[in-house]
Amino acid sequence: MSILTNIILCPLVAALLLCLVPRNYRLIMRIVGMVATFISMVMAIVMFWRYDSAPMGPSGSFKFEEMHKWVDALGISYHVGVDGLNVGLILMGAIVAFAAACACWEIKEREKEFYILLLVMTGGILAAFASLDIFCFYFAHELALVPTFIMIGVWGRGENKNYATFQITLYLSIGALVSLIGLIALYVQSGVQSFDIVTLTEQLKQHPLSARDQNFIFPLLLFGFGILVSLWPFHTWAPLGYGSAPTATAMLHAGVLKKFGLYGLIRIALPLLPQATHAWLNVIAWLALGNIFYCGLVAMRQKNFNWLIGYSSVAHMGFVFLGIASLNLIGITGAVLVMIAHGFLAALSFGLSGYLYNTTGTLEMDKLGGLLRRMPFVGTALIMAMFAGCGLPGFANFAGEITIFFGAWKSFPLVTGIAVWGALVIGAVYMLRAIRNMLHGPLPEKWQAVAESTWPLRKLPYLILLVSLLVFGFFPQLLTDKIKPSAQKIVTMATGASETVAQNDEPPVVKAKHK
Amino acid sequence: MFENLAWLILFLPLLSVAAITLFTRSKPRASAQISIFAVIAAFVLSLIVFVFFRGSETNSLPQASVPWLWVGDFKADIGLRLDALSLGMMLIVTGVGSLIHIYSWGYMKDDPGFARYFASLSLFTFSMLGIVMADNFLMMFIFWELVGISSYLLIGFWYEKASAADACKKAFLTNRIGDFGFLLGILMVWAVLGSLNFQDLEIRLVPHMKDYAPVATAAGLLIFCGAMGKSAQFPLHVWLPDAMEGPTPVSALIHAATMVAAGVYMLCRVFFLLNVPGSHALEVIAWIGGFTALLAALIAVQQNDIKRILAYSTLSQLGYMVMSVGMSGPTAAMYHLTTHAFFKALLFLGAGSVIYAMHHEQNIWRMGALKKKAPATYWTFMVGTLALSGVWPLSGFYSKDSILAQALETNHIALFVLGVFVALLTTFYMFRLVFVVFFGGARSEAADHAHESPDVMTWPLRILAVMSIIGGVMGIEGLYTKQFAPNAEGHAAGFGQQLLAPFSHSPLAAYLGLFAVIMGLGAAYALYSRSLFDPLPEKLGWLSRAMRNRFYFDELYERVIIPFTQEALAKFANAIDRWIISGFMVRGASGTTDLVGRALRLLQTGSLQTYAFLLVAGVALVLYLVLLR
Repeated sequence: MSILTNIILCPLVAALLLCLVPRNYRLIMRIVGMVATFISMVMAIVMFWRYDSAPMGPSGSFKFEEMHKWVDALGISYHVGVDGLNVGLILMGAIVAFAAACACWEIKEREKEFYILLLVMTGGILAAFASLDIFCFYFAHELALVPTFIMIGVWGRGENKNYATFQITLYLSIGALVSLIGLIALYVQSGVQSFDIVTLTEQLKQHPLSARDQNFIFPLLLFGFGILVSLWPFHTWAPLGYGSAPTATAMLHAGVLKKFGLYGLIRIALPLLPQATHAWLNVIAWLALGNIFYCGLVAMRQKNFNWLIGYSSVAHMGFVFLGIASLNLIGITGAVLVMIAHGFLAALSFGLSGYLYNTTGTLEMDKLGGLLRRMPFVGTALIMAMFAGCGLPGFANFAGEITIFFGAWKSFPLVTGIAVWGALVIGAVYMLRAIRNMLHGPLPEKWQAVAESTWPLRKLPYLILLVSLLVFGFFPQLLTDKIKPSAQKIVTMATGASETVAQNDEPPVVKAKHK
Repeated sequence: MFENLAWLILFLPLLSVAAITLFTRSKPRASAQISIFAVIAAFVLSLIVFVFFRGSETNSLPQASVPWLWVGDFKADIGLRLDALSLGMMLIVTGVGSLIHIYSWGYMKDDPGFARYFASLSLFTFSMLGIVMADNFLMMFIFWELVGISSYLLIGFWYEKASAADACKKAFLTNRIGDFGFLLGILMVWAVLGSLNFQDLEIRLVPHMKDYAPVATAAGLLIFCGAMGKSAQFPLHVWLPDAMEGPTPVSALIHAATMVAAGVYMLCRVFFLLNVPGSHALEVIAWIGGFTALLAALIAVQQNDIKRILAYSTLSQLGYMVMSVGMSGPTAAMYHLTTHAFFKALLFLGAGSVIYAMHHEQNIWRMGALKKKAPATYWTFMVGTLALSGVWPLSGFYSKDSILAQALETNHIALFVLGVFVALLTTFYMFRLVFVVFFGGARSEAADHAHESPDVMTWPLRILAVMSIIGGVMGIEGLYTKQFAPNAEGHAAGFGQQLLAPFSHSPLAAYLGLFAVIMGLGAAYALYSRSLFDPLPEKLGWLSRAMRNRFYFDELYERVIIPFTQEALAKFANAIDRWIISGFMVRGASGTTDLVGRALRLLQTGSLQTYAFLLVAGVALVLYLVLLR
């Protein structure tokens, strides 16, 4: 069995095991949840570490590949593998999953079900990113999505809980359904009777779909996946849903599951529907601005901290769309980088806001203040998260965002200009407001006695996420060196250009010649 | 070998940050020692590299760089550039920085956040060195941002004070507006010239002049935006006076001597991109600098907080430097930057010593007669004041003179007159401060009981005073001339000749400059030598009120510009989001809302079985849809 299969199976097997544990063995459940995600995380780190030296699988472009026939008549198979696009995502997903499992202290009732759902969700997410079979890819996503709804509905918080559950369910189901229609249409029209991405890619490279088909399928995928990523104007479910979700669910969904739509766009829509992609680039760029600029402005007006980071995470998705719209090596690499960086960041922000909520019982920013004095660790971590969120160098987000700006500048100078304003100014306005209102300033009488836990285990999830952000912020090449070759393949297929410039990584002296 | 030393200089302060945050957070003394050691070591190493450089007769030492992020044509390195410009700045940053670190040991002694203070100071030193040593635009931008964050952390050091918390936010946001332009400028230059490396750009500029010339003005002005933010030039000047909420040594290091000079430094570093035929960027830069110099000097005349007077004075002097760059005189700008670092750091530390003596009183009208109570502070402060005013033969005279001479040489007569007038104002407000604080009678109980500061604080003052005196004859100008005009003939070599060079080189500038000093001093003496209160408000009326209220720029921004632009847009976007997107599109027309309500009630059974059933049903639906095809 490939290490990839083990990474996916570990949480799922643990979920099955938990079914057998009696309801009142609370500690056991916590331990099982944490251990399973921990093992999965360690294996993901090992896989990431070994990625460069690992041999290519049978398909020639994926590593740690594994394939078993499943429903042969329909061309469904269990096919997993990683390349530069998803190896970082799986690493990020596994780390966030462990952090989320550590951050479930607030769950006090029906723990058994919660942990089972959490582990199923984790397995589903990781499987979705690992799958090279469109059916499994989609199925795994559903497997992760449905627990999200249940967790918000049962363990969610706030008065809006029911409405939030309903809206997020409705929205995301519609998004998933729309993209499903697109995927099935793709399957049918390709004519190879296979859900396998490698087979489909080969087939469509030789015999591209007709322009009519492409123009029919692409919008389905764009908006179907787009809804899942909170593409403007389909974003309102995100702040609402995350505002009511239990901490671990928000961490996992905002951090990892949300990236599914983006991954789908890059992995499937761009290379398989190149002609339609071209026609839609302008639209994508301007919609991205809807996220970056418009949602950033809305975030400025939020009074509840969870809503603020909800909107900010919507805004950050815009950078990825902008990177996709630029459709060149720089832009796509930057997009994948931001997906990974934002996964850590969103998980960190929601994790810390959950901690704060459990300590103070409110996230209304005007009721808080001066908390840094009482909560030095959480406060400092939150300040670091806020600065990562407004693109401070040293955190992975900066590396991603700057790459996207450089990628998009030549094709969309105006859009990029506004996006830079959104990143540097609007982002800073709401992030600094949050710090000013909650952590700085005088400490109100009410919070004099507030204190944070001194138990190191409580700090662990946040530390892991912070370290991840810093490591990839200081050494972005760890990711980009893996992403670049795969991104180049996607770009080559999507632009149809056979003679795209090869990896020009020669030293600067030589490069002076060709520009 | 010198590359390795240079890397060590850059990373020593970062190591100190890491050591303090990870290990010695709870040990204030150890933390301070680590931080002080790091900056002094960096200074000594910089000196070694500098001496080697002077001996090497080259224009720059070999660059050392490692790739940081390379994707396609976008190639960002972390690389060091060691030439006269960067080495001069490194000496200022680590040298003045060392003195201020030592001074802080005394000034911050009883503060509970001692360790955090020194960690932030080291972070600042690291970031500032990064800007100075950067050999490419992107690395400079990275450290540009890091300097912004260290400034934020230090201004907001006493974050529980609402005013400090507001000030750090304002400083960071104002800087971010400048950085927005800066980044766009970088993108523009990169798109046209295809490189980020300064040396590469300089080489590529000649063959690509045809492509670059049309965008030169725009790119130059966008890059200047970055300098406008960091060096607090009009209209982004509002953050610097508020930044005085930070501890006084921080004001001396960051908001007087080094960080705010980063904008000027950056303009000099990329001067070859600004000084392009057909570009009007320099003209605009010169006028913005001149205007800032005048505006800030006028405001400084009517401030009563000792630190704010110095803050506006800093703004005004930065205006001089920017103006000088704009008049194609980067040498003069860097010269003034260097001497200004000495005497302005001295003045701020002196002000800190006064504030320390007065038990944290900052209003000059509650001080007085400190001359006898704090003699060391008085004498050194006097030296700083004379140097800043431009009294011969102190350092300020020479650097200011070279800016005025530059104006004459390039036929900027209006800016020359403006420069002389600002010199007059400078002398006036500085001696107003000196007369009120150190002479006359004690105006409050605290002034009566004031005491001299400990040695750890006065010795840095003495050293800086010596530097302020001899800064004009140390050959600083020659150092920068080597950078910007390597072919120019050497300046007067002999000591005596150097001492008198300005009078023979550009007599009009030198004599008018001195005349302005005498006028300013005379006016200040007449008005303030024995007064108990400020006589100017009565004499000037509304003008004085406008000066005291900073010509209402803060009010203009806070009440008019921000609410009617970005905040209004945000309100608008929020309303759309709430009422149209989620209101109309999501909840749909009333019928759907009703339906949603009913469906909701059905769904919200709260029973896990139902949910489990739905889960299975969902999966079945998917399977069905797939198998159907």
